[in-house]
Amino acid sequence: MNIKFASRLIISLTLTFLIGPFLIIILAGLSAGDFMTFPPDGMSLKWYIKVFTVESFRESFWLSMLLAVFGTICALILGIPAAYAISRYDLPYSETIKTIVAAPIIVPGIIVGLALLRYLVVPLNFTVTLALFMAHTALVLPYAVRVVSSSLNNLRGDMEEAAVLLGCGRVGAFMRIVLPNIRSGVLAAFILGFVTSFNQVPVSLFLSGPGVRTLPIDMLGYMEITYDPSVAALSALLAFLSVAIVFVAEKFLGFSRYV
Amino acid sequence: MFQNRKEGLALALPAAIFTALLFLLPVGMLLSEGFKVDGLWSMQGYIDFATKPLNQTVFLRTLKLGFLVVLVSAIIGYACAFCIVNLEGRHRGRVFGLIVLPLMISPVARTYAWIVILGRTGIVNDTITGLGLSETPIRILFTETAVFIGLLQLFLPLMIISLVSAMENLPNDVIPAARVLGASWFKVFTKIILPLTKDGLVIGGTLVFTGSLTAYITPAILGGSKVLMLETLLYQRVNVANDFVSAGIIATILIIMSFGANVLLKRIATARD
Amino acid sequence: MSDNFVSLQKLSLAYGQTLVVPHLDLDIRKGELIALLGPSGCGKTTTMRAIAGLMAPQSGHILIDAQDVTRIPANKRGIGLVFQSYALFPHLSAFENVAFGLRLKKLTNSDITKRVDRWLETVGLAHLAKRKPDDMSGGQQQRLALARSLVLEPKVLLLDEPLSNLDARLRLDMRLELQRVQLETGITMVFVTHDQAEALALANRIVLMKDGKIEQLGAPDELYNAPQTRFAADFLGFQNIFEVEDQTIVGKGNALPLSFQTKARYLAWRPGAVTLEKGKYEGKIKSVSFAGEQREFVIEAPIGQIKATTPAANLPRQIGEIIRFDLPSEGVCELRE
Repeated sequence: MNIKFASRLIISLTLTFLIGPFLIIILAGLSAGDFMTFPPDGMSLKWYIKVFTVESFRESFWLSMLLAVFGTICALILGIPAAYAISRYDLPYSETIKTIVAAPIIVPGIIVGLALLRYLVVPLNFTVTLALFMAHTALVLPYAVRVVSSSLNNLRGDMEEAAVLLGCGRVGAFMRIVLPNIRSGVLAAFILGFVTSFNQVPVSLFLSGPGVRTLPIDMLGYMEITYDPSVAALSALLAFLSVAIVFVAEKFLGFSRYV
Repeated sequence: MFQNRKEGLALALPAAIFTALLFLLPVGMLLSEGFKVDGLWSMQGYIDFATKPLNQTVFLRTLKLGFLVVLVSAIIGYACAFCIVNLEGRHRGRVFGLIVLPLMISPVARTYAWIVILGRTGIVNDTITGLGLSETPIRILFTETAVFIGLLQLFLPLMIISLVSAMENLPNDVIPAARVLGASWFKVFTKIILPLTKDGLVIGGTLVFTGSLTAYITPAILGGSKVLMLETLLYQRVNVANDFVSAGIIATILIIMSFGANVLLKRIATARD
Repeated sequence: MSDNFVSLQKLSLAYGQTLVVPHLDLDIRKGELIALLGPSGCGKTTTMRAIAGLMAPQSGHILIDAQDVTRIPANKRGIGLVFQSYALFPHLSAFENVAFGLRLKKLTNSDITKRVDRWLETVGLAHLAKRKPDDMSGGQQQRLALARSLVLEPKVLLLDEPLSNLDARLRLDMRLELQRVQLETGITMVFVTHDQAEALALANRIVLMKDGKIEQLGAPDELYNAPQTRFAADFLGFQNIFEVEDQTIVGKGNALPLSFQTKARYLAWRPGAVTLEKGKYEGKIKSVSFAGEQREFVIEAPIGQIKATTPAANLPRQIGEIIRFDLPSEGVCELRE
């Protein structure tokens, strides 16, 4: 048997399975008809245009965007020092701390949303937006710590010692030597966090209120009411956005090293 | 390694406290609801939950689908990872990029596509009726098969990534060496590749299993209320019946299963040594 | 007082619960080039890190230039350290690497430029000032690291395995470079190495360490010719070391009468000191190998294996043959323990 041919076949089939559905979505969104079908009924851009005119999509898009940006920034502010402590210090209880920080990964999002709603929003009068923001920060934190840690582990520790011996303080060594050298790791963490947060659904299932809905939840709601191709068009547009971000990141940072 | 422990703690504690207080504490409180009936500690909730046939079905289905997705993704993952590792540099990067790509796309979009493909008037059914294999469209959407396909597509990349990086770390030439020593491909896989990539398999398996358990959108869209999974059941119990005891129980089960899968996979992997 | 410029007094060093250096006293003279020599795990690197201030001693004191610096943080001690990996800053150019410490001292720009240029010139890197460390060869990186430390005019320069990352030819260049810098600046240098040849070639004095203790301290020729312990002898290339009881060499349950008088408990010979083809002992040739200028023999004798060398031209003997040999009084080294 020709191994090269077999290997190409396996890769092609897998890629078709993984990416094919997406091409279909893109095309389905181009349909001129009023219902989702494939192959599409004629071609038009009307659904792609309609997406921008739906008020609720616009609002939920901005909410998702803000959550993703500020949640991730917050996660980095908490996560970078934690990652630094874990990789460079003789840290007491380091296993416990690592477990706590990593825990949100295995807690199903739906439970997080429900728990925050029931114990923070209702009794303590947190706003839904604040609860969402906290949930997203906590969910992104493990990724931030992991990516920044791996970046720090690739940076030799003796560089900070060298800086200290040349007269730097501990903080100065971090700002002048460490940070510039893990910049691409931090950026990678930001992008990974942003995408994770932006695409996050289950957390917001319970954490939505009047005027406070994230984009994926809004899309789910829209789908339940109408079966027109605008959700397909929107999905395709979001996919392009994600792909563009990742493409640029990969081009400049070699992003896939950190995933 | 800096030896100042207080300084280290000062850097690490904000993150740990944030997560513990604003994340783990509320979640823990929710879990504890499963052990309460009318405000009193009791296991009655668990007994009631376990005796309902619907709950049993949903629990077993979630478990079964989780394992199936891990199994199938491991098989495809190994085949794929092996092929990818053997590609030359530039090509390998591109293929790897395409495998990672779906992870960056909203699961809503990724799941939505399957409605178009698997629906009554979708591509699959059009093909089947077009070829005359069946008179009427067959039901794929809202079956376990649809959920399985959706989950597999969602989480396969995680398995492939883990296995590719495990295989890249294989020492040079161990496979040719084993072949020269007379091992069949099957032996090469079970005696060389599997033991040396077990860490990747454990990581990938845990990610895929946990992902399948905790996915909400895929069972919600592709399974609907006909094929409930634990996540969708939880949503239903809270939204329809305001039943926080069941919610606490399901949440506990999900977390224990995620933990359990990790421990079990580690056990399986190390047992081979 | 020139005698103890750097002084380690009752120093005890530990990583967590592991005591690496239990109790160390060492005086280093001003302007000397001293080597801390020993196998890995002997505490030499730990001692160097303690001098630099990168780890705090459990007890004891470190004095530099008559000042107790035990409690002074690393960035205020005025000590230079050239790391084994060089630890250059990859995001900064060669110039900025050297300027790093000067900028922290808030010197004026023209002053910084002047000093950096002078040092880049000294180490022969003036033409590479704009280059990033990753685009430089190992030897250039080494010299850059040296310049980066020396530009701050430290009281003491510490070097961690300074020649280990260089190939054989560059090692010689670098050795000359270090000796030249030391001669020109008169700086006190302490370097750590596991390679006896490096220590012998470079140092004025060698501190041989074992298990965190000083095994022997002395000038290179002293150590080379007169090691005092089995450990020191073995480390410095005495491959034949035997115990002595009642004027006989004992080993493997057998005894051979000595041909000379000694009071030592142990005797050691280098392979070159063993005479072949004559003498009162006999052994079987276990292996012969040709090593360029000489031929190396391993001989199986009743007391154990003997390693011997002869000039390559001599003795084309075969494996398995019986050969006579002697362990003569010339070239023997008497060990106290």
